[in-house]
Amino acid sequence: MAFAKAQKTRAYYKRFQVKYKRRRDGKTDYRARIRLINQDKNKYNTPKYRFVVRFSNKDVVAQIIHSTIAGDHVMAAAYSHELSRYGLEVGHTNYAAAYCTGLLLARRVLKMLELDEEYQGNVEASGEDYTVEPADRRPFRALLDVGLVRTTTGNRVFGALKGALDGGLDIPHSEKRFAGFSKDSKQLDAEVHRKYLYGGHIASYMRSLQEDEPEKYQTHFSQYLKRGLGPDDIEEVYKKVHAAIRADPTAKKSDKPAQTYNPKRLTFDERRQKLIDRLKALNSAADEDDDDE
Amino acid sequence: MPAGHGLRSRTRDSFSRPFRKRGYIPLTTYLRTFKVGDHVDVKVNGAIHKGMPHKFYHGRTGRVWNVTKRAVGVEMNKQVGNRIIRKRIHVRIEHVLPSRCTEELRLRKKKNDELKAEAKAKGEVISTKRQPEGPKPGFMVEGATLETVTPIPYDVTNDLKGGY
Repeated sequence: MAFAKAQKTRAYYKRFQVKYKRRRDGKTDYRARIRLINQDKNKYNTPKYRFVVRFSNKDVVAQIIHSTIAGDHVMAAAYSHELSRYGLEVGHTNYAAAYCTGLLLARRVLKMLELDEEYQGNVEASGEDYTVEPADRRPFRALLDVGLVRTTTGNRVFGALKGALDGGLDIPHSEKRFAGFSKDSKQLDAEVHRKYLYGGHIASYMRSLQEDEPEKYQTHFSQYLKRGLGPDDIEEVYKKVHAAIRADPTAKKSDKPAQTYNPKRLTFDERRQKLIDRLKALNSAADEDDDDE
Repeated sequence: MPAGHGLRSRTRDSFSRPFRKRGYIPLTTYLRTFKVGDHVDVKVNGAIHKGMPHKFYHGRTGRVWNVTKRAVGVEMNKQVGNRIIRKRIHVRIEHVLPSRCTEELRLRKKKNDELKAEAKAKGEVISTKRQPEGPKPGFMVEGATLETVTPIPYDVTNDLKGGY
């Protein structure tokens, strides 16, 4: 439908209803959000926790959030850039790193709630489907929130989910979307999944590049080579990272002051003072002019 | 064709969403909690088709008597013929707002409790009853000059419009 003179009339704008801010930004899927947040009314104020996983180009963010009318409250968060603290310096956005981030978040939350002794989770990552068994105190339950990601089999989001499950959280899930699930046999191949969890798919790509295209191998995996990591070392690295995470999952506060991109807002008194100073300066300049004239 | 008296008849305007407020409804409605005994207003949200009350209850206020998974039970009065019946309906969260009808009472109760506690500490006797507004107090009119206005003697010539 072409507009007259290819222009949007004033009437068009007057009737235009904007979508919600976060929808315009393309960040929130409200249909999913309503269904995730909605708590049974006869459960009154019991919080409903979401296990949120988001990916950026260089980072993986895993958070446990619950919603209130005042806003969403983040209970605990884990970022994959923290993994360098545990011994993982490269490959922060692959399936294995997502697994580590999920694992880190789960251990962190359980430690925060003092449930970490009871719910060790799956210590040896075997790739099999593992669900927490309820012990004395009920396990920590959260719901996976993927955001706007397309939930295909083998998506990194499910890597993070596996990390959280092995860490000891109770998240309702099905093994259909884990890497290694075959549609034909309708079964999860635990071996394949385990390969992915330890970066096996990266190792095999490294091997194939080494043979076929050595120059590309040098450029593509330059950071790995800089640290002396070859295709056979990767699994060891991840094993160490898992152990280090289980040993000490507490979050460390950064010493750097928070980075502000906008200038700091002045208080009312500061703004008044600025005005007074400016007027004084003007007056003194005017007096000088008068004296000159 | 006759008028038709279906469930949602005559609700074209009352059930329609306000201008430029269509689509998803804000999440606060889902995050609110209701307890038995709360007062709530029933206001139908035309975008949600489930759990809608009958158009009679649109704009009514009642008390919550039941809380279920996604709805609340509200009881309110309805005049049927020559008597008033207490009706109990179940309404989904989206069609219900917390009522402010008791807000003034609750605030007043709190303030009165504070005043009474203070007075008790001091040993005074106070009355916290509300008093209706009395007649305005008397006042002196300031800066008024007296101007005596008298009718002017009738003059025929003034009244003749034109033609004089």
